[in-house]
Amino acid sequence: MNSLPTPSRPPLRSVLLRSRKHTILGFDPQKLIKYFFGSNASVAIIVLVLIMVFLLREGIDFLPTYQRELQTYRRAGLEFCDIIDQPLQKNQTLSSSLRQALSASLETLSKTARDRRDAAFLLKRQVEDKSARPRESLAQALEKAPQDPGQIDVLRRELGAATAAAVKAVDYPELFTQAEREQLEREFAALTPEVTDLPPMLQTLVEDFNVKDREAKTKFADLVTAQEEFEEAAEPLQEVLDELKAKALETKEKAVEFEVLETNRQRLLEAAATESDPKEKASLTKEAEESVAETVNLEESIKEITGRTAELREQVEKYAVVIEKAAADLPKDAGTGAARKLVNDVREGIPVHAREMRAAAAKLEDWHWDKPVSIFSVMGAFFFGTQWITNSSWQDFFGFVPLLTGSLVIAAIAILIATPVSVVAAIYTNQFASEREKELIKPVIEFIQAIPSVVLGFIGISLVGNLIKDVSEWSWLQWVPGFPIQERLNMFNAGCLLAFMAVPTMFSLSEDALNNVPRAYIDASDALGATKLQTVFRVIVPAGISGILSAILLGLGRVVGETMVVLLVAGNRIAIPDFSAGPGVIFQPAHTLTGIIAQELGEVSRGSSHWQALFMVGIVLFAISLLVNWCARAVARRFEPHKA
Amino acid sequence: MNPAPTNDNPFAGDNSGIQQRETAARWALRVGSYIVVLITLAIMLHIFIKGAPVVFQSKWPFVNTQFLTELPATLHVIEDQQGNHIETDVNGADAVKKKLGDNFRSEKTVSYSGGGILGPIVGTALLVIVSVGVALFLGVACAIYLSEYAKHGKFLEMVRLAILNLAGVPSVVFGLFGLGAFVLTAPTFVDVPADRSVFSIPLGFTTLSFEGWDTCVLSGGFTLAFVILPVIITASEQCLQAVPQGFRETSMALGATRWQTIRYSVLPFATPGILTSSILGIARAAGETAPIMFTAALAFKDKLPWQKDLPPLPADASIFAHWEQSVARFLGIFTESVQALPYHIYTLAAKIPQNEYAERAQYGSVFVFLVLVASLAASSVMLRKRLRAKYRW
Repeated sequence: MNSLPTPSRPPLRSVLLRSRKHTILGFDPQKLIKYFFGSNASVAIIVLVLIMVFLLREGIDFLPTYQRELQTYRRAGLEFCDIIDQPLQKNQTLSSSLRQALSASLETLSKTARDRRDAAFLLKRQVEDKSARPRESLAQALEKAPQDPGQIDVLRRELGAATAAAVKAVDYPELFTQAEREQLEREFAALTPEVTDLPPMLQTLVEDFNVKDREAKTKFADLVTAQEEFEEAAEPLQEVLDELKAKALETKEKAVEFEVLETNRQRLLEAAATESDPKEKASLTKEAEESVAETVNLEESIKEITGRTAELREQVEKYAVVIEKAAADLPKDAGTGAARKLVNDVREGIPVHAREMRAAAAKLEDWHWDKPVSIFSVMGAFFFGTQWITNSSWQDFFGFVPLLTGSLVIAAIAILIATPVSVVAAIYTNQFASEREKELIKPVIEFIQAIPSVVLGFIGISLVGNLIKDVSEWSWLQWVPGFPIQERLNMFNAGCLLAFMAVPTMFSLSEDALNNVPRAYIDASDALGATKLQTVFRVIVPAGISGILSAILLGLGRVVGETMVVLLVAGNRIAIPDFSAGPGVIFQPAHTLTGIIAQELGEVSRGSSHWQALFMVGIVLFAISLLVNWCARAVARRFEPHKA
Repeated sequence: MNPAPTNDNPFAGDNSGIQQRETAARWALRVGSYIVVLITLAIMLHIFIKGAPVVFQSKWPFVNTQFLTELPATLHVIEDQQGNHIETDVNGADAVKKKLGDNFRSEKTVSYSGGGILGPIVGTALLVIVSVGVALFLGVACAIYLSEYAKHGKFLEMVRLAILNLAGVPSVVFGLFGLGAFVLTAPTFVDVPADRSVFSIPLGFTTLSFEGWDTCVLSGGFTLAFVILPVIITASEQCLQAVPQGFRETSMALGATRWQTIRYSVLPFATPGILTSSILGIARAAGETAPIMFTAALAFKDKLPWQKDLPPLPADASIFAHWEQSVARFLGIFTESVQALPYHIYTLAAKIPQNEYAERAQYGSVFVFLVLVASLAASSVMLRKRLRAKYRW
């Protein structure tokens, strides 16, 4: 270009150019505008960094705080008590199984009598409820000091009519014969506020049940005694343990109080050091001196606890011997198959339990009150802890596993439901649907995105929960594990709603992926004589699989991060779901990572360990979302078809 | 009904297994897709059937004005001896009881379920205004950079990655961020910095202290702004990209600067699209609950944001004092915490015992909320369609 003759008009050109050259503080305004927009573009980056910064600022102190708390937990001897207390919890489970077995056995004899009694009482309550208004009026009128016989008469008649109507309206179960039914009706009709005794028929029914119950208890006397023996076995041990626990708790409270006062004193001294006004300084120093707390001699008080190790071990040994005897005494036969199974479970469970108790007792000797708590064990206690207990009078634990399990199980349910539905819908809309169908399906599915999550949560409480519960009570569906369900609000319910929420994301992204499949692939397949179905499932879907997979991953990210639906619908029970229930586990309630933050953050004070723990959960959630995003991108890149 | 295939026609379809399988698979796919559609419609119908009777009535003016124009209140249900239920608020309860005298039987209170939902509606509107204002400013500027200025490189890649990741951050984490950043740390002008202030810069007449804005509309609005930022950026960039390249080239060829090109040849054609797409952002901001739980929302408040008690002015107050108080009242709107519709629904659904009265308030609120959000989303879709028809390059 340089070789070309340059036009001979440089003066005009330079004049034109110069006239435009405004500068602001020595900068070219065009550049400034560009930097303005550029800086706005970096907002996304800055916000991501700020999210990290603020989460870390509030949450990172969690580990040292929790370390201090666990240290106190150990030094005050709470840990010592828990060594025995934790395995002793098993006693409760075993004895409740025994109780269940016992009541199942007793029921074989007394069930009809009990049912008849309960049904009669229920009927009586129903009749009384239905005629409550006139009944109350009459009772009031009767209580008045000068009784008005005319009014009472009117009220009596009213009550009579209401009761008669109620007696006719209630449903009598099949348990009663026609004669009994008539007698009940007669007796109910005679119910007035003055009658305090039970109607005679009910009295007979109660007596019937008591007779049957006694009979049953004599028949299963072995089981009754074994159960009582087992329940009483823990009492002496529990007594010793309770004494130790009270002592440990007292020490802990003193230590915590000391720490609070001490930090307060330090702060006052600090303030005094920086204060310039001598008068203020003197008053601050004085205040600091006054708040000197009584130091706690942890070593002294722990000696009182560890000094009784031998006694405790002895009690554990006694307990183990007694329950082993109880296990041997357990009768072979029980009333029903279910009860027999329960008894067998207990019989097998007791030796295991005894072994655990003995192992725990042996551990007591190795325990040292001043062994430091390492930061790694604190991390372990958080990331692998199985208990999330807050506001406890004993000790707060922040274990992450119950929340994570809840979140993961719900997410798995949601993805398992949403994936087939949204992929099928995407394939159909993209490949088979007519234009008119597309115009119906696409906007409706995209509309789901606009439904606020709290509305879906509300639907879960008010509609889906009852629906699932009703369905689970249908008799021909009883083969489904977990049916009939106990809780309306459970993981399956939440999973269904989250699946519904994830459908639009997964649908649109999958449809995009199918759209992006090169035209040539389809043409080639058609040219080879493939049917439409073959083209779709052997060419288009495999070619778009990367997009579909990344759509599923992004849907997963959305499901794990969703808050309101799980908060409202998942049932909010902070415990690891009982996986021994098999696939029926999905009908149990659970708590989640997102739900716990939303539920508890409003009620904790800033800077407490609980607050910091919730921010730690937030950090983990943030990390999960970044990881899921990264995976989705990696998958999309990995399986990208090589475009010709 | 197709006539039975005859062997005469060599091109007639055959009923072989392949074709049957083809039809069966097609129907399976169709049923799968329509299940989603049906479930969506069923949910809408359920809310409509249960919610519409609360909001509409058969008498003039056909709309339950009380429900839409009153603040939420505690509902008192008084039963008399004849079994009639009288609904009233806390002020009316005593009068009703007095009137009934001996006829009074029982009284039941249901929190938050009386009155109407004006407070939550106003609060949500304020939050949406703040958040959309902030998000539109940042988002459109960002989109202009991405579409008009950016060259391929590290920075652009980082920005795109950041936007993608921001879109995936769980909303409750945004809530935590808003709590840490805006409620507890954001800079504000005060006379005396609070203890919790991170640091403060004395400015002579006042102090710039990083002590946070407390829970208020501003904190919640800013938090929501970052929740919807990715939506706005993506939508705006699409609209800018849709303006034909030729417009820019023509403008540049005429000697316009880059900014003039953007200002006169790109933005005028992209703005309608950007605005309609940002309606989707509004719908999203109005629907989010978790980000405002700790930053702006209150379960109960008996005043509208502008009904704040200010010290009465002396009778001879100057016009300046009046003016100052009006400004303070206006600014006060944004520094108050408010009720918001989604949080109100959460409170009704999860924090109070369920009964018929609570259920009525729940379905009424849900219905109004859904109608608002759905009409926003629908209008966005419709406007976009119309715009597409109008600007066909």
